[in-house]
Amino acid sequence: MSDVRFHGRGGQGVVTTSKILANAFARTGQFGASFPMFGFERRGAPVTAFGRFSDKPVREKTQIYTPEILVVLDPSQRNSEAVFQGLVPGGMLLLNDSDNTINVSHENLKKLGIIDANKIALEEIGLPIPNTVIVGAFAKMSGLLEIDPCCDALQDYFSGKKLSANIVCVKRGFEEVELFDL
Amino acid sequence: MTGKKKGKLTKVLDYLKYEDPFSKGVAFCPGCGLELLVRFIPQVLGNDIVITGTPSCSAPVLLGQNNQSWHTLSYFGTLMTGAAANATGLARYYRKAGIKNTVVCFNGDGTAADIGFGNLSGAAERNEPFIYICYDNEGYMNTGIQKSGTTPYGASTTTTPFGSASKGKNLRRMNLALKMAMHKIPYTATATLSDLGDLAKKLLKAKEAKERGFAFLHVLAPCTTGWGYAPENTIEVCRRAVKTNYFPLWEATNGKIRMTKIVKKPKPVSTYTELIKKFAHLNEADLQILQDDVDYEYCMLGGLSVLEAECQLPASLED
Amino acid sequence: MNTKINAKANSQIKVITGNAAAAIAAKLARPDVVAAYPITPQTEIIEQISKFHANGEMDCELITVEGENSAMNAVMAASLAGGRVFTATSSWGLVFMYDAVLATAGARAPVVMVNVNRETPGIIAVSSGQQDMISTRDSGWIFLIAENCQEVLDLVLQAYRLAEDYDIQVPVMVHYDGFYLSYLSEVVDVPFQEEVDRFLAVLKDQPERTKLVPGGKLGCGSHGILGGYLELRHKHVSAMERSKAKFEQIDKEYQEIFGRSYGGQVEAYRMDDADVVLVGSGSMCGTIKTVIDAKREEGVKVGLLKMRMYRPFPGEAMVKALKGKKAIGVVDRSLCFGFKGGPIYTELKAFETQLEGSKMVSFIDGIANTDITTANVETMIDTTCGLAAGKEVREVTWICYPEAQESDAEKMGGR
Repeated sequence: MSDVRFHGRGGQGVVTTSKILANAFARTGQFGASFPMFGFERRGAPVTAFGRFSDKPVREKTQIYTPEILVVLDPSQRNSEAVFQGLVPGGMLLLNDSDNTINVSHENLKKLGIIDANKIALEEIGLPIPNTVIVGAFAKMSGLLEIDPCCDALQDYFSGKKLSANIVCVKRGFEEVELFDL
Repeated sequence: MTGKKKGKLTKVLDYLKYEDPFSKGVAFCPGCGLELLVRFIPQVLGNDIVITGTPSCSAPVLLGQNNQSWHTLSYFGTLMTGAAANATGLARYYRKAGIKNTVVCFNGDGTAADIGFGNLSGAAERNEPFIYICYDNEGYMNTGIQKSGTTPYGASTTTTPFGSASKGKNLRRMNLALKMAMHKIPYTATATLSDLGDLAKKLLKAKEAKERGFAFLHVLAPCTTGWGYAPENTIEVCRRAVKTNYFPLWEATNGKIRMTKIVKKPKPVSTYTELIKKFAHLNEADLQILQDDVDYEYCMLGGLSVLEAECQLPASLED
Repeated sequence: MNTKINAKANSQIKVITGNAAAAIAAKLARPDVVAAYPITPQTEIIEQISKFHANGEMDCELITVEGENSAMNAVMAASLAGGRVFTATSSWGLVFMYDAVLATAGARAPVVMVNVNRETPGIIAVSSGQQDMISTRDSGWIFLIAENCQEVLDLVLQAYRLAEDYDIQVPVMVHYDGFYLSYLSEVVDVPFQEEVDRFLAVLKDQPERTKLVPGGKLGCGSHGILGGYLELRHKHVSAMERSKAKFEQIDKEYQEIFGRSYGGQVEAYRMDDADVVLVGSGSMCGTIKTVIDAKREEGVKVGLLKMRMYRPFPGEAMVKALKGKKAIGVVDRSLCFGFKGGPIYTELKAFETQLEGSKMVSFIDGIANTDITTANVETMIDTTCGLAAGKEVREVTWICYPEAQESDAEKMGGR
């Protein structure tokens, strides 16, 4: 089972990212359970979401304290203590950032993925909402999902032109994420 | 030679098309305005109304005891806090199931103006298909004559008693019927027991309006015990309430107000209060305040009806 | 390649939140009248229903009331008139409608309501906890509690089957944890309409219940007093007692049609040879099961007794499962003011003499949004094991607030 923790700010689609991934896992016959924790709901407030993805039914209903994978949608959080709290040795981090120089470090961090998801999102959907790009990048970095279930999962969240545009986002996230071994 | 000319009372009797479903000798005070009203309604609207009522002066008669009842109407005993919401549930289910119905939500002023006003307003805002009738005896009578939102200025009640440091209620009453008219519901009206023909007409208009949505009737129903007047004077008290413009008679269609009775030479409000003990402690200066309140309210009401006559009701609001 | 989510013959797999599961179940039950008013963390339920209604997927009267008190009053009345109804609320909304909640039970109106558990303390709180359920446990309603999103959906459907059963006619409230279940997206098997219709069809074959109809010369909500009222109360109490066996029966009916059984009033997880047992309810049970599996690998004989029906209190079923166990740790996600220990602990303690020597302790955890973590569950299991082994253990432990433990004088001592 993979324990994933998502960090971001209200308005970036952190929660939807975790939902889409749970959906994608379900489409491969596996299981996903994700939920958010936030303070006051408003744009810009920090949001944390938790995702457990497994080939067996997920029963725990707790927050994730020892994540294996971190997903950070807001570049300003890249070196935040709260983000790295509990990261297990050999952990991975996926970062949304326009700056692709490696300026994050943590003793337990072994694999880093960087993608300028905002830029891609602006190009494809006209809004700086990075979540679907991140979905594709996550699949590539983690190796836990193929691209197809990720694209198919979008059907439950988008339709029409928005759906096709977001599918492009997922594909570009998958193709364009830069991966670094640390 | 034509037959005997019909008097006013015989005309009223023409409206009473149905049986009185209440048994005789029920637990109302002698001279109770509420009793006259609650017996009147089903005789005009029919015995197949579904009536709701709350703990109140009407409860000992309208609500049964265990599995026995004082009348044959289908009824629902509800709490004061949600009376209009209960009636909403009934009316909406009947609509869904295609069951023809007239739901009458029958409450005192304590429920309508105070504790149950929130859901009354909500039901009106949603234009729910039932008739809400408020019998206004200007206080919580069943619990021992406490003040409510419709108790008038200067009235002595057990929670606004006249004393060495108090002249009775020192707040003006709120105009419940006008508040309801401002919800722009299909029908709003005031009525009282001295003008029974007018009351009957308004009941029937309310029943017709209910096909389009919410209908609200505000009926002044004096309380001989709580107000302090001789039981045989109930009708006269109502008559004087109308003649002094203390309780003007009007109706509103989708919020457009029309006076249904214009008193050409209104008498001073003192001719009304002189009959009623709850005002007995007021001196001339106090009474003037009550008179001013009555005049101001009437002016506003009259002004609204004239103003609204000048305003075109948009076609989209007509039905 | 198009990956479908596991298509099945009579249902479909969806990844949905607890709230969405509740809304879908309500839709499948085909209610006549639904009252909707928003409150965190339930709001998605009524938004979903409103969407279904706006798209013509739900043929019901939707009343967007101006407050929760009206929500319960409206559905109570519609129910007494003969309709199937639905509404949902949480904490403050539940207590704002409490007079109507009591009236509904007293009138034996078969209303079904979802309550998404949230703190109901003396200060404003928007956080998880079961205090709202505890605050209303004497309402005369049947209370059921869900562990996960699948069970939310299943319990709402079972609630209709139970509430409207002619032998029962008691309103049913389905509880589940706010935040930890309401917003949790999980894999849920959603039945097709035909299967749900089949499950509820048995209700149509019953004698018709009494209804308030125009011209029916029938009243409800009369003034109850002396013998007449006593008769009503006794019938109500008896009906609640009957609902225990009925709920077991319904579990079997559900298994036959949908292939899922939960065990009825309680679920016994790895209890058979357990020396030590945790008693819990709601979402914490999923976490507890995972920790139990890990502890079992280490040779600790621990099990979980999950309480699904809370009212009526499944005393007999719990005694049967717990009798003879060495030690029991009761996990409360709420407080019992004026008593030592959590509410469910104090209720179970009433059966202590029937347990034949089991020792009991109380754990308070998961209130005010604190998380019942796997580490917390390990602590509870270790503590209860200590109790079984004769160690000195506090009677009440606030797992979520260790700084506030009582003085040493309050410790139980080896008993």
